Amino acid sequence: MKIFDPHVHMTSRTTDDYEAMAAAGIVAVVEPAFWLGQPRTFVGSFVDYFNSLLGWERFRASQFGIRHFCTIGLNPKESNNPKLADDVLALLPRYLDKDGVVAVGEIGFDDQTDAEEACFAKQIELARAHNLPILIHTPHRDKKRGTIRSIELVRSMKFPEERVLVDHNNEETLPIVLESACWAGHTIYPNTKMDETRMAALVKKYGSDRIIVNSAADWGISDPLKVPKTIDVMRRHGIDDDTIQRIVWNNPVTFFAQSGKLDVSGIDARPAIDRGQQYATNSVLRGER
Amino acid sequence: MRSRGDSAARIWFDEALTQLADDTGELVASYTKARRLGRAPLSLSAAEKNGAAQLLPDVQFDHWTLEDAGRAALLLSAATARPDSFVRAATDCYDQGDSAEQQSWLKSTALLPEPDQLLAIVIDACRTNILPLFEAIACENPFPARHFPERNFNQMVLKALFNKVALSRITGLAGRRNADLTRMAADYASERRAAGRMVPSDIGLAMTETP
Repeated sequence: MKIFDPHVHMTSRTTDDYEAMAAAGIVAVVEPAFWLGQPRTFVGSFVDYFNSLLGWERFRASQFGIRHFCTIGLNPKESNNPKLADDVLALLPRYLDKDGVVAVGEIGFDDQTDAEEACFAKQIELARAHNLPILIHTPHRDKKRGTIRSIELVRSMKFPEERVLVDHNNEETLPIVLESACWAGHTIYPNTKMDETRMAALVKKYGSDRIIVNSAADWGISDPLKVPKTIDVMRRHGIDDDTIQRIVWNNPVTFFAQSGKLDVSGIDARPAIDRGQQYATNSVLRGER
Repeated sequence: MRSRGDSAARIWFDEALTQLADDTGELVASYTKARRLGRAPLSLSAAEKNGAAQLLPDVQFDHWTLEDAGRAALLLSAATARPDSFVRAATDCYDQGDSAEQQSWLKSTALLPEPDQLLAIVIDACRTNILPLFEAIACENPFPARHFPERNFNQMVLKALFNKVALSRITGLAGRRNADLTRMAADYASERRAAGRMVPSDIGLAMTETP
């Protein structure tokens, strides 16, 4: 089974993770731009971060046979820094046009402040201008209201809902998203958000239309193998392979292909991996050649 | 502070305070160096607690360390000597601080002048995922209840629930409860139940009425 992890912050992960992911059948990932745990204080930190998503990280993934795409955006948390937000927004048009940038994201609400809403709306406009779908992060706190507000904002701006992926859903937000035409992402985490068994129950209840599953693995407690682990649990709950394949491959591919920049051709035949390749004179090898 | 810590640190501290008072010291550099006062608990005696309670009735010092107290004294000394540049200098201490310096800074906010000028930093600091930093704001600290707008106060309470921080540690919570917070807490309980998870037993403290 071909597996796509449509939300994983590989910058925070090790080469062991890449090896385990490839061995488990993950052939493509999307790495959304997000915050790094430590707040950034200079716009230049974003320039370097975006460059590393498009450069070194994509190369690093390729060295493990994994196709790496990314989304670019100003996350909701750092939208609250007035010294930074406008400068980052001004950078975005340059990055949104780049190769392999398959959506604007993660954007949305965290504390649900006015500043977050303003940056969210501006980035919806950017998505329209650059013909990209959007990836919406829904908040940890006051999640249901944050989800409703996100969909209302998309709707009020007349952004096409089928080009919107609302992420980090739970039992209470999924029906709200499915009532719209947006897609529904689910983050399978060890302790918070969603787990494998609950996810299997949601699939049995709601089916597989517009349903997407990801690991959102990052620098916190998380697991980059959560998509393959969820496949195992779904199978044990009697969900058939066609349904599972739709959730872990067809759906994310269909969604991000709306960018016109998701090239998954030739992904069945895994590229021969040459780890001697270099990126700006650097390789994933440590001296051995 | 003059009766605490080792003698070399005490001598340094006295000197740093004197230099700030006569405007020859550098607040940001001293703020970092105060680490030499150490992280032993401040452990106020009963008499000291009484004295503090008369001056600052809603501030608790139980979770303060020696360096926290020393840093608060440095900030207050700078505020007295150079009131005009205090906000700028205090902001530099926070912005350039490591995690321990930022904790000291956040714990001391209720003692500092010009709280309105510091409010944006404290609200932004609530966005941290570093739990001790969050606790330095949310717990045993009257600053949020005194100064946070309702929306930010509510977010802080929800974040405390989310991080299993006991709500009883939030100074002034009872006086700041409101309808929106009650709704947010009820929604959180409902979300936890739908996920088959425990609802925090103290969630009622965030509600104006128990559902």
